[in-house]
Amino acid sequence: MKIDKYEFPDELLYDKEHNWVRLEGDVATIGMTDFGQDLAGEIVYAEVPRVGREITQGDPFMSLESGKWVGRVKAIVTGKISEANEEIEWESTVINEDPYGMGWFAKVALNGDPLGLLKATDPEFAAFIAAEREKYGK
Amino acid sequence: MKLYRLETVSWSDSQLLYHAQPRLDREGLNLLSPGSPYVCIGYFQDVAQEVEVDLCRQQGIPIFRREVGGGAVFLDGEQLFYQLVIHRDNPLVPHGWEAFYRRFLQAPIAAYRALGIPAEYRPVNDIVANGRKISGNGAAEIGDYYVLVGNLIVDFDYEMMARVLRVPDEKFRDKVYKTLQDNLSTIRRELGYLPPRQKLWDLLAAKFAEVLGRLPIETTVDADWRAEVDALAADMLSDEWLFSKERRPAGRKVTIRAGVQVEQRMHKAPGGLIRALVERQDGRIASLSFSGDFFLYPAHKLADLEAALTGVGLAEVEPTVARFYAEHDIQSPGVTPADFARVLS
Repeated sequence: MKIDKYEFPDELLYDKEHNWVRLEGDVATIGMTDFGQDLAGEIVYAEVPRVGREITQGDPFMSLESGKWVGRVKAIVTGKISEANEEIEWESTVINEDPYGMGWFAKVALNGDPLGLLKATDPEFAAFIAAEREKYGK
Repeated sequence: MKLYRLETVSWSDSQLLYHAQPRLDREGLNLLSPGSPYVCIGYFQDVAQEVEVDLCRQQGIPIFRREVGGGAVFLDGEQLFYQLVIHRDNPLVPHGWEAFYRRFLQAPIAAYRALGIPAEYRPVNDIVANGRKISGNGAAEIGDYYVLVGNLIVDFDYEMMARVLRVPDEKFRDKVYKTLQDNLSTIRRELGYLPPRQKLWDLLAAKFAEVLGRLPIETTVDADWRAEVDALAADMLSDEWLFSKERRPAGRKVTIRAGVQVEQRMHKAPGGLIRALVERQDGRIASLSFSGDFFLYPAHKLADLEAALTGVGLAEVEPTVARFYAEHDIQSPGVTPADFARVLS
């Protein structure tokens, strides 16, 4: 579904750090939302997490650079990185151009169910995005 | 938060001190300057692609990778650094990094203006005066802290900056040098003289006080801070840290200021390799030179094609080349106007 100009695919789940996750059994594919990439601006560098690394929901696990700002990305799930999208290290703007497709960050072997995630259709999610747009003037 | 007026420190302290503060859970505004020159690269940069490492080592110029974004820069004692380390939950921190830059860069802008230099904010993180960059700035999240680093540029060694950057050839280096001269200014150039150093430090402190409120002043580095700096030095001054990022080479691009870049671009067309040395200003081609191993007839028209593309925006490259081909009956086997658009895209 679309919220204002931002796309949020119905089949994904979202956190309040502008990340998405696609759950397929015990494997989660994770990335940044359309709103998140717009907030970041043109992403010039991305650091891919190494395969095998344990990540914890809510803790930073990788870095991005846009506008000479190096920012940390918080994990949307807990588990072990099983695959990393190395293409985003070479062509980081793909995160801006295709955040739900080519711009995915990593696949994670889940360790427990992620907590507190929302669907795009949840009224709470729409309210969150509206508040974020107000906060950041988007 | 405290104001640390440290003035001249060692080159390594000029970087390690602000990296240590978030790790000590400590806010601060540091005003300091390095005691000797060095080269500093952005967190994500590949030092081997960005810096003439051998030259720096021969000349005894250290190279440091910071955790802050941006590009490779030559730093020395003619630049007065401000380093703001502020907790993300501090009520002074606005939402969004552009607002962050805009708020805290008010202080150096006001300092420049108090000197009579018409400085203004240029998104995202530049300060310009009379159309030229006059301060470099970068930021990062380190732990729960936001860090802003930047400088007042009293004087600048343009030649050394152009020498330490790794470039494909001397023609490119010459272009970088000239573009730096045209687009980067200093207090000395703007005023025609050098104001007393103490006056500049006092101005910076006073203008930051207008943004942050009055802060208690410290002039030394305490034992805890020194211990954290020493611990960080073991990692951050190592070659392992310096060479920790390796990136795939893809041409060469040097950003002079926001909106101004010098680039070398390459594209392998079916008819041969096209190389372009291009200077861009705000999305338009400011100057351009083609080389490579492709054929274009009549050959003397290549300079005219470069002239025809000067001032042109990216979207207009292909139609401009197509029009030029038609008007001048250009033949270039295996190279089409789309290939020129590709090399400049």
